Amino acid sequence: MNIIEIKNLSKVYDEKTIPVYALNGVDLAFKQGEFTSIVGPSGSGKTTMLNMLGGLDTPSGGKIMIDGTDITGLKSRQLIDFRMRNIGFVFQSFNLIPVLTAKENVEFIMQLQGVDREQRDKRTLELLQSVGLGEKINTRPNKLSGGQQQRVAVARALASKPKFILADEPTANLDSKSAENLLEIMEKLNREENITFIFSTHDSRVVAKARRVVTLEDGKIVSDVSKN
Amino acid sequence: MGDLRLAWRNIWRNKRRTLLTAASIFLAIFLALIVRSLQIGWFDNLAEIVVQSYTGHIQIHKKGYWDDRDINNSMAFNDSLAAVVKSNANVDKTVPRLEYFALSSFEKQTKGVMLAGTDPLKEDALTKLSAKVVKGHYLSTGENSILVSQGLASYLGLTAGDTLVLLGQGYHGISAAGKYPVCGIVHFPSPVLDNQMVYMNLATAQEFFSADSRITSLSLTLKNPDEIGNTAAALKAEVDGGKFEVMRWDEMMVEITQQLKVKTAGGKIIIAILYMIVGFGVFGTVIMMTNERTREFGVIVSVGMQKSKLAMILVLEMILIGLTGLITGVAFAMPIMLYFKLNPIHIWGSMAQAFISYGIQPLMPLALKANFILSNVATVLVIVSLTCIYPVRRIFKLKVADALHK
Repeated sequence: MNIIEIKNLSKVYDEKTIPVYALNGVDLAFKQGEFTSIVGPSGSGKTTMLNMLGGLDTPSGGKIMIDGTDITGLKSRQLIDFRMRNIGFVFQSFNLIPVLTAKENVEFIMQLQGVDREQRDKRTLELLQSVGLGEKINTRPNKLSGGQQQRVAVARALASKPKFILADEPTANLDSKSAENLLEIMEKLNREENITFIFSTHDSRVVAKARRVVTLEDGKIVSDVSKN
Repeated sequence: MGDLRLAWRNIWRNKRRTLLTAASIFLAIFLALIVRSLQIGWFDNLAEIVVQSYTGHIQIHKKGYWDDRDINNSMAFNDSLAAVVKSNANVDKTVPRLEYFALSSFEKQTKGVMLAGTDPLKEDALTKLSAKVVKGHYLSTGENSILVSQGLASYLGLTAGDTLVLLGQGYHGISAAGKYPVCGIVHFPSPVLDNQMVYMNLATAQEFFSADSRITSLSLTLKNPDEIGNTAAALKAEVDGGKFEVMRWDEMMVEITQQLKVKTAGGKIIIAILYMIVGFGVFGTVIMMTNERTREFGVIVSVGMQKSKLAMILVLEMILIGLTGLITGVAFAMPIMLYFKLNPIHIWGSMAQAFISYGIQPLMPLALKANFILSNVATVLVIVSLTCIYPVRRIFKLKVADALHK
């Protein structure tokens, strides 16, 4: 069953002067439990695609259905609420809140969701342990390595029990060992807990791990390959 | 992580900037409070001197008397008026007076004088007249003698024990004439008063002016002078407005009030400039803080925090910085204001001489009142709140995808 369906999605910048098509009539669907990489050269529309899927940007045309909800029709407040309950994000630059500890960063979304303290503490600890940071719960981001920060970001993305996780170039700022470690964790979460991951990436290691690779060029899908 | 804790941690992520902003607010509120405290202390001190030297806080006259101070504009001092005054809980002392001009004569000298008929005990309680006696003794109740001011006595060449002849026009044009023994000489630092005052018992003056049971003014002092506005309004409502006028001291002493207002306005302009400078300083901090954190705002909104909540946290941050400056500013200013309220500043030089020549002690106490402290605190909070408009607008206009790539 598809959890995401994209129909005729387009995004045009500078529509009134010289139109630039970041996405041009894209049709795509994702199933629960997929581990998908979106690849393509710079400017091909990968980040725009992820922004659209995450409801961070509004399309110029088309529809994005997530679990039966057309998110392109939601108002700003509804969209923020929808993101909080359904979508997890992992950013290239980690983007943890610097004044919060690892634990506080992870439980931040659960607080927004109104999860009670006992449940929050339990889940936060589980998540940080699952990404190998059980010992760092009270450490602030500036005392963590890049790899550790990105693992906290993964734990944060999982905290709200989202339907899928969008990861924009998650290994771009990591050394190879940290990147490998992060990929193993995400692959394990995908395999064992059936969590859907969608990456945009240039990293061949991520592409190698992905079970489906969607290639974009000039805002269009030029290939969509599923392994096995 | 509560909103308050998050805001508190956020403001300390750049300690130097937060401390500088809080310090500018500290300095602004500190200086503003000291300047206002000096101004209000000066104003209150002068007001108290004016009140205690003659007028009282409030006076009741026959309607139109203050504009035309003629004995024919005197009023009957009856029980109903006394009852109205006594019924007001804030009225402390009352001094009935009958005042009018007369011609004085001693041997070959004559001079116009201001004759004040009063109750010696009540007058002394208000103006401490007995302390001004330099020769002879103070007027006793029922005594048929008079007190003469030193400058006038000197001009006429008389002293205590001599007899002064007074001539004048009484109530409804009746001739007024009499001779009165001088029981004492009083000295007023103000030359205007020192050269023209004659005091006698109220009953003696009423007899001299043929104005039986009449007075020209009823001076009142108040238990709480800060309530003068409400008390005057209450008295106006109680007395017959067609017959009487109720006037505050500042309505009677218009020249002094206007001079004080001019001085106060100057001080307020200085404080306004100070606040403007601080306001721009705080605004600069807000702009820097907002621009530095645009990506972070994008992340927070992308993971699910509503923009309104984020804006509220930002406002909270600014209020916390504002309160840090405010609380320390007020905490530093309060002991200074209290100390100089209890131990007034001694004025020196030509200004001190000017004070003394008007019978005023050359002291300047500082005021310590909740109303001006709170109004300055509120002003700073309003300034801080206004500076929040910019980041709040930025947050509501935030495009998350763009912010994430800042």
